[in-house]
Amino acid sequence: MAERVFAAKLQGAGFEDVWVGGHRPSGIEEASYYPLFTEEVIELMRKTLPPERHDHVATGVVVKARKPADARSGERGR
Amino acid sequence: MAKDLMFQDEIKEAVRDAYAGISAGAGETVARWLYSDEELAEVPQGAVAWALGVGNPVRYALLQPGEDVLDVGSGGGIDSILAAKRVGPEGSVIGLDILEAMCDRGRAHATEAGVDGWTEFRRGEMEDIPLEDESVDVVISNGVMNLSARKSRALAEIFRVLRPRGRISLADLTVEGELPPEIANDQSAWAG
Repeated sequence: MAERVFAAKLQGAGFEDVWVGGHRPSGIEEASYYPLFTEEVIELMRKTLPPERHDHVATGVVVKARKPADARSGERGR
Repeated sequence: MAKDLMFQDEIKEAVRDAYAGISAGAGETVARWLYSDEELAEVPQGAVAWALGVGNPVRYALLQPGEDVLDVGSGGGIDSILAAKRVGPEGSVIGLDILEAMCDRGRAHATEAGVDGWTEFRRGEMEDIPLEDESVDVVISNGVMNLSARKSRALAEIFRVLRPRGRISLADLTVEGELPPEIANDQSAWAG
């Protein structure tokens, strides 16, 4: 999911004051530490992604937002 | 429509199977990229070893004593425990995870950390959170939203359980541009 899509989904759900920060590049080497990524997928990444992307396949972010003071649950998104 | 729903179920099953099949988290190496030495010293080694997140949502949540927190996709409990230390016994933390085995790990680690008196773990899905409307002040999650095939539904559920002026701090991975289809369509890439 792209950052702008994430932010748009939050706004669509009714959140306000959406903020995205804490950007941190995440590459293939980091992915290899996670047991959820099989060796096959890690190898596939090394083969199919250009070398310049190996250190930055995805970006870790922290997204903050707030529920409006006058919002009632169930008004949006269902 | 039916095909979309089937696809969503397949994704959910793939994610659940992937997490049920692992015997360890990403480990201390990854945890040291995400948490400070001081933060890691606050949690049991088992919770550090089972860390599977991609960021540090508690650091950004600016939790206050007495707040009620929901940790969506709590896993081994590292963020729930850090949150519990911030809100103290006047507050509360609920860790929500799709796997009972993860909830058991979270409970054991919370007990070891001494925060079990105000920290509980419940099995449930982020698209159908087993909490009352407007029941928490803060929702955190770490590397979890991307796992949902129904992200808008999950966000609507988070919105529902938050009190007015409640806030979220969600750590996740974003991807700009296209990934090769061999990777984008791989089940373990979905789950990871």
